[in-house]
Amino acid sequence: MLRPLLTVSALELRTRIRDRTALVIAIVVPVAMATLFGVALGGDDPPLRATVGFVDLDGGEFPAGVRRELTASTELEGVLTLRDLPGREQAQTALDAGDIGAAIVFPAGFSTSVGAGEGGQVGVLTSADTPLAGVVANAVVDRISALVRARTLAVRASLDAGVPASEVKEFVERNGAGGPALTLANDPMAGGKVDLSVYYGAGMAALFAFFVVGASFRSLLIERKQGTLDRMRAGPIHAWVPIAGKAVVGFGLAMVSVCVTWASSVLIFGSSWGDPVAVFTLLLAHVLAATAITMLVASRARTDAQADGVIMVISFVAAFFGGSLVPLYSLPDVLQKLALFTPNAWTTTGLTGLAGSGAGLASVAAPIGVLCAIAVVAFGLSAMGFRKGLLG
Amino acid sequence: MTNTLTCANLSKRYGGAIAVRDVGFTIAPGEAYGLLGPNGAGKTTTISMLVGLLKPDTGTVVVGGTDLAAEPMAAKAKIGYVPQEIALYPDLTGRENLRFFGRLFGLPRKALRGRVEEVLDLVGLADRADAKLDTYSGGMKRRINIGAALLHRPELLILDEPTVGVDPQSRKSILDGVERLVADGMALLYTSHYMEEVERLCHRVAIIDHGAIVAEGTRHELIELVGGVDRIELTLDGDVETALAKLHGVGGVTEAVRTSAGSVRLIAEGGRYLLPAIISTVDGIATVTAVEVVEPDLEATFLHLTGSTLRD
Ligand SMILES: Nc1ncnc2c1ncn2[C@@H]1O[C@H](COP(=O)(O)OP(=O)(O)OP(=O)(O)O)[C@@H](O)[C@H]1O
Ligand SMILES: [Mg+2]
Repeated sequence: MLRPLLTVSALELRTRIRDRTALVIAIVVPVAMATLFGVALGGDDPPLRATVGFVDLDGGEFPAGVRRELTASTELEGVLTLRDLPGREQAQTALDAGDIGAAIVFPAGFSTSVGAGEGGQVGVLTSADTPLAGVVANAVVDRISALVRARTLAVRASLDAGVPASEVKEFVERNGAGGPALTLANDPMAGGKVDLSVYYGAGMAALFAFFVVGASFRSLLIERKQGTLDRMRAGPIHAWVPIAGKAVVGFGLAMVSVCVTWASSVLIFGSSWGDPVAVFTLLLAHVLAATAITMLVASRARTDAQADGVIMVISFVAAFFGGSLVPLYSLPDVLQKLALFTPNAWTTTGLTGLAGSGAGLASVAAPIGVLCAIAVVAFGLSAMGFRKGLLG
Repeated sequence: MTNTLTCANLSKRYGGAIAVRDVGFTIAPGEAYGLLGPNGAGKTTTISMLVGLLKPDTGTVVVGGTDLAAEPMAAKAKIGYVPQEIALYPDLTGRENLRFFGRLFGLPRKALRGRVEEVLDLVGLADRADAKLDTYSGGMKRRINIGAALLHRPELLILDEPTVGVDPQSRKSILDGVERLVADGMALLYTSHYMEEVERLCHRVAIIDHGAIVAEGTRHELIELVGGVDRIELTLDGDVETALAKLHGVGGVTEAVRTSAGSVRLIAEGGRYLLPAIISTVDGIATVTAVEVVEPDLEATFLHLTGSTLRD
């Protein structure tokens, strides 16, 4: 079982390596494009300066604490400027006018609701023109949300344990479950350095993974036309050997392609993509999804040319709606919803999150899960397709 | 003695059209069996079911005592299948192509090298083994196409029209090679458009038309089916179409088909006695420039049974 598989894989690998164009597409083009975009749009070290609007409709102690923490932070000194604005509309106007880069909005009653263990939601306004400020504002809000969750849990637990409502606040704070103090454990400006080089590097890696793995399924269809597939299938091997043998090589080459793009981004721009284990696992899940999707195309295509065309269209559509080409937040809301169906969106968001937060594998469990789910569904459908068509 | 191949009740339907209907035959070890039929008769479809490329709608295939549906791997290991089209990698050399399929079909590493050389010798390509396949001539490609099916020493060799587009010299070398394999005890299933190949190679022949076997037997048995019927080849000059229509009406002529722009083939009872009638029938429409009366052969049988020529 294994030897035929390795035989098919060895030939496929050899053919792909001999094919200079394929190598260029797998390695040179994504690196070149990521670098080009990074240089043109990202820049190595633009003066990091962000003005973030601060809308305090609550007036309570929570926003005050956040403000205290932000202005006291030494990392943010000279980088982050807070501007008070009276309301959400004014913040939006200022944002549209380019006076501020992003805004954080505390709704009325926020402190009270958090104090009562009911949680609360902080709003963020961002603009496509100032992704940097958006990243900072989001990073701050993420920290607040975490704090609110912890606090909510603590209050609920205390209430359940019989602490009278009037004393809960004091009880919780005395027991150390986060007062309205915001500790910026991770420098939110690290997120600012999710400079566009990482963003475009991730995008190109996500896009080219499709092309690279797609080429192996295309060669499967060429073999069908050439008759060599039937010749293999007439031999004493399992029906799936030719398909699996090619898929393994396509998958491996796509992994090489995304990792080279990643490495080049780190080397050229000196920008970190975050925890290597998490980045690698996320890339692995993306390539798996790309493999499954291109396999699905191959299982239904009539000719290699048709498969080629469809894979090309799917790759670009997924790349566009998935934010591999233009930042997701610059797409209209409807399209951002659409993005959830593309592996690229989950991968790019996950990767920029990792680069921005310095968090580990656990933080990208959701995107990895979704990517694997996409892969499982596509693999299942392509198995059905192959049974009906190629292996019929 | 168990047969090398036993197939029975094979049927395959594509959408509404029946491609193969209730086909069955057996091939003994060392026996060469021919499958003759015009284009679209169902030869390739039948073979595809025999080698496990196509699931039959009905019917069974047993290869060397192993049921193909139940134990596909074991059954396929006994078959060497040569597809109708060249099915090899054009950018690999002949030797690389053979090595790939040998390895894929499970030849032990040590035996592989020697076996590849043997097969290269067998198909007479040892001197061109290291040239890329796309530099080979049509005949050389055909030969290596067959070679790739011989690596694992199959009990049954299946050749689907292996001499299409091959010059006479290459064709002779292919037929000689196949004949040797059969003499050495390999069972053979051979399809062809070329009647003389089948006549030369095959011990038994089945004639397949519209997906069904219409006759089966040794060459002699089949020819006897036609009885005292002769084949007459006429070369005509003039209005061949009208002449053909008239010839249909001549008493004793059972079949009349046009074989080229200026030639007509007739199947007639007591052929040579009909010649005067035939010549006078076309008089004034076309001139008979040549006549050949051929005693019954497989081709005549074929025409008699299917009403069509083989080479179209
Ligand atoms: N994949 C397919 N889908 C639909 N019909 C098919 C398919 N393959 C073959 N057929 C039909 O089945 C019939 C038998 O075809 P087959 O290829 O077996 O003929 P053949 O005897 O090998 O002809 P040839 O001498 O031209 O190779 C034909 O009518 C053909 O059109
Ligand atoms: Mg055929």
